[in-house]
Amino acid sequence: MADVEVQKPEAGPTGGAAYPKERRGFGSSVLVVVLSLVAALAVPVLTYVLLNGTFNAMSGRVSAVLVGVVAIIIGVVGVFAMYTLVDLGIKRLPDNIGRTVQPYAWAGPAVVVLGIYLVYPAINTVQLSFADATGEGFVGWDNYRYVFSDPAMLRSLRNTLFWIFVVPAAAVSIGLGFAVLADKLRRTESIAKSMIFLPMAISFVGAGIVWRFVYSFRVEGSGEQIGILNAIKVGLGGAPVDWLAVVPWNNLLLMVIMIWLQTGFAMVILSGAIKGVPEDMLEAARLDGATEIQIFWRIIVPTIMSSIVVVFTTMIIGVLKVFDIVWVMTGGQDGTEVIAERMIRNMFTFRNFGRGAAVAVFMFLAVIPVMYINVRRFREEEATR
Amino acid sequence: MRLSGRVVAALATLALLMAGCSVNVYEAGSGTGGGGGGEGAAAQEENTGQVDIAGAASGEEGVAIQAVIDQGVNDAQDEFVATYTGSDSFEQNVVIQIEGGTPPDIGFYPQPGAVVEQAQQGNLVSLEDLGFDIAALEEQFGSYLLSLGEVDGQHYGFPDTINNKSAIWYNPKAFDAAGYEIPETWDELIALSDQIVADGKNPWCIGTGSEAATGWPATDWMEDIVLRTGGTEVYDGWVDHSVPFASPEITTAAETFGQIIFTPDYVFGGPENISGTDFRDAPDPMFQDDPPCYMHRQATFIVAFFPEGLTPVEDYNFFPFPPIDGQDGVLMAGGLAAVFKNRPEIKDFLELYSQEETQCLYGSVGATTTISANRNVGPDCYDDPLIASAVEPLVEALQNDVARFDASDLMPPAVGSGEFWNGMNNYTNNGPDNLENVLTSIDAAWPASSSDGASE
Amino acid sequence: MSGGPVTVPDIEKTKAAQPTRGSEGGVSDPRSVQVVRVIVGIIIILWLIPTVGLLITSLRTQGAIETSGWWTVFGSLFDTSQWTLTNYQEVLTSGGFDSAFVNTLIVAVPSTVMPITMAAFAAYAFSWMEFKGRYFLFVFVVALLVVPLQVALIPILRLYAGGPELNISFLSGIAGAISGYDVERVTAGIPLSLNGTFLGVWLAHMGFGLPLAIYLLRNFMGSLPSELMESARIDGADHFAIFTRLVIPLSVPALASFAIFQFLWVFNDFLVALVFLGETADVRVLTIALNALNGQRGEAWHLLTAGAFISMVLPLVVFFSLQRYFVRGLTAGAVKG
Repeated sequence: MADVEVQKPEAGPTGGAAYPKERRGFGSSVLVVVLSLVAALAVPVLTYVLLNGTFNAMSGRVSAVLVGVVAIIIGVVGVFAMYTLVDLGIKRLPDNIGRTVQPYAWAGPAVVVLGIYLVYPAINTVQLSFADATGEGFVGWDNYRYVFSDPAMLRSLRNTLFWIFVVPAAAVSIGLGFAVLADKLRRTESIAKSMIFLPMAISFVGAGIVWRFVYSFRVEGSGEQIGILNAIKVGLGGAPVDWLAVVPWNNLLLMVIMIWLQTGFAMVILSGAIKGVPEDMLEAARLDGATEIQIFWRIIVPTIMSSIVVVFTTMIIGVLKVFDIVWVMTGGQDGTEVIAERMIRNMFTFRNFGRGAAVAVFMFLAVIPVMYINVRRFREEEATR
Repeated sequence: MRLSGRVVAALATLALLMAGCSVNVYEAGSGTGGGGGGEGAAAQEENTGQVDIAGAASGEEGVAIQAVIDQGVNDAQDEFVATYTGSDSFEQNVVIQIEGGTPPDIGFYPQPGAVVEQAQQGNLVSLEDLGFDIAALEEQFGSYLLSLGEVDGQHYGFPDTINNKSAIWYNPKAFDAAGYEIPETWDELIALSDQIVADGKNPWCIGTGSEAATGWPATDWMEDIVLRTGGTEVYDGWVDHSVPFASPEITTAAETFGQIIFTPDYVFGGPENISGTDFRDAPDPMFQDDPPCYMHRQATFIVAFFPEGLTPVEDYNFFPFPPIDGQDGVLMAGGLAAVFKNRPEIKDFLELYSQEETQCLYGSVGATTTISANRNVGPDCYDDPLIASAVEPLVEALQNDVARFDASDLMPPAVGSGEFWNGMNNYTNNGPDNLENVLTSIDAAWPASSSDGASE
Repeated sequence: MSGGPVTVPDIEKTKAAQPTRGSEGGVSDPRSVQVVRVIVGIIIILWLIPTVGLLITSLRTQGAIETSGWWTVFGSLFDTSQWTLTNYQEVLTSGGFDSAFVNTLIVAVPSTVMPITMAAFAAYAFSWMEFKGRYFLFVFVVALLVVPLQVALIPILRLYAGGPELNISFLSGIAGAISGYDVERVTAGIPLSLNGTFLGVWLAHMGFGLPLAIYLLRNFMGSLPSELMESARIDGADHFAIFTRLVIPLSVPALASFAIFQFLWVFNDFLVALVFLGETADVRVLTIALNALNGQRGEAWHLLTAGAFISMVLPLVVFFSLQRYFVRGLTAGAVKG
């Protein structure tokens, strides 16, 4: 057991290519492949059988609350128990086979589950993107032509690009700045952080109402302003403005909502990373006379770079997928379309599944550059550890 | 201990087999079967003793529907019990349930378009298959309402409650104080508007803001006008796109609407603020002490959004949208009941539910502003004087076949829930010079293959 | 397990040696502490304004909400007639609120723990195991972050209703012979009926939550010091032992932060619950029960704001109770240095 790898990936660009050191016969190679597949499937299947059996055994026989309690317990320990079981099974295998199979038993279940819940629908979507409105007749590239020619679609592409430039940058810098500053506070740190976190806990319905009370507009003379921005403007002697109809700034106002919601995410993850920066490194820098700002740029930021990349990636993908803010606040009118909103609108309002699917496929493709950066980092990181 | 791994594996395999595989055999001619084991819907099933109805009316309106069903249907027989479940998200829900293989027995759809769509996809049981005599139903509802759910000569929509959209609301006290008379023709309406402007006020309170659906109240204006300037023939042609938006008829109607919104001082807040004013807030200024505007066109449900503490008739009332050049009509909205399963008690339910005695209950059971689609149910049934006065013109129009359904609900959603709204916003925001642009861009959004679309 | 006892190297020691961060923070100059306080204070106020508006709105009557701005209450804070608790009362006593709360817990707890468990094993494998296709599978998993939930709902719904089906019509001759009918098509499959079940929702949340979970956890686990793993291995620990006794305890901050997000997400989710559980009273969750309070044409703002506050309580409790684990995370970094 003691010589189990952690080969540094000098093994070459193919990653794990270095491993089958022992020669194996064809028969045993097949056996290994089959066992790996079985191992990957084992946990999902066993978990499903266990949970399904539990529910079936209980349904209608015991009170709903008891079903709930048992369900929670089984749900919580079930997955772990199944991994333990499968791992025990692998230990029964001959050492060299077990060693090859084990990674698939660990990483495989997630891949299997994702295959069902995300890959299968994604493939379905790609198929639909070549179909007509009802999802039946084949229309070739028509839907993609729509994506790149419809004026509303083009506006949405432009707007989404702005969202990608503005929202992650703003949320990450505010979240990072706040995490660093809050780190210097004494007892109040946890309270301060939870205030920034608070928006994440508000349900989306609640958030929609909250922001309506910020941007709401009423014609002068038809009653008091109930939107705080207009109340301030009127209080200063101005005339009320229909903020969400002011092209192009209304886009920015919608981005503010996303930033408000997402900064908490950036802050929590980055704050955790900052806590991991070794204290002695900071001390040494201080002794060398570095200012706090220098420490921030030269020590903290480089040390937590991988977390920053993670947060940025997550946010960019979040922005690509954002539709509910736009949907609730403006419905994409007045030039505020974004691509995910166009996708939902085409699929569910206009019931044109083909076009909606084509927009979704475009979203899949748009993420490739981000993934490329991540792979590079992933490799660099492994090379240096 | 050594064995445990294998024992578990064996047990798991066994469990899999037991949980597991099934073999389905489809006979020739039994249909393709589909996902959820959907049998051919035509075959009649046994009475299960209950009828599940799902619909969009929730809250107090949902309670009223159940009360009508209880008194009119459940108490009248003991073969079955009908239960209504209302939900805000009915329209998504029912799609989910159909896909998931568990649709309700009956769906009370708030718009006809979705019924037609489901019928085209083969998910509904036609009224003919249920055993209804269409001619007898036409006696009750008139042929227009029944035709809304017609696909390939079969009828899939059973008319449910409707409401009157051709209403112009006003504040009687303010009208009295200023000495204004209720206009009975379009010309009188314009004359009254001019008079109000001359008195230094704005005649119209208009707001079309409705978040994602901003613009729909303006489409209602257009529909009321098209019905009166073009008549039912143009209106029906407009719905199925044989009369395009850019046609002279619709252009005329849009210009007539433009007379209301673009005549200087006609609209409180100016035309540029129409789409920014929430439709729920729009009527509020009428009820201020010295009202800045006097009239508001909206369907009967708007009373729910009037300020608290107002008394109907005394503090607010409506007059019918007046005829234009002698041509009159009534715009309505409402729902269709669609049937997903073929069982004898479902037909019994629909018969009992739609008969006059049951439908008459809608006027008395509680908080609902809806009107029975059964044209034999008269104004006497309705306790609320405002609703009763909305019933009369509607029933009359139904009988004269000049009542028409909300056109935007009948158009393909890319137009009726999309470009038509956007176009109206564009029109109100950017002024009359923009009209040609607006109308051609709505036409451009009409789906190419919809000659057999959601209308007819 | 096999293998000898694992010595977790020196964690306790490092922890003891570590000055408690957060209480010192390295800033000694009182003036800069003031500056920090002011900046933090300003950001907090900006962030809080909308939420305070929500809270105040939830305590006002419907009429007041629609006729004046929420901040106008500050003009007459002690005028008790403008405050009301009836919104909360109405939400809490509305039918089935308690069972909706229980249902939400039944949905949320396993839907949080299950993906974390699965992701932790996968993240460990991606970080510290060598195998063919590792890069590919990892990138593949992370790329799935971009698949919008909405495109997955209908296909999964169909799968749940019918289960996977294989066409085996080449056996139709045999089936026809046995049954005596004219057989057109034969399929074999695993019939599922997961729609409307808690299990169906758990699995769906697990599937939708896994990419982010794996991504975040791998980022964290991958940054753990390799010396630590090696010394454990020299002590004879296998992967399972290293994972359970070393990596998991060290990853608590990352696990906790993901747990918070997943819990929040599931707790506030409306769409997945609506699609896979539905609105029937015995299974509906809190968000759906609250939504039912909203009238048909909308905007029962007074009830929705009260509901939003009630449903915020539990996520905040979770946040506060998990927050202490963020501080302990410093041990992980400390051993690295």
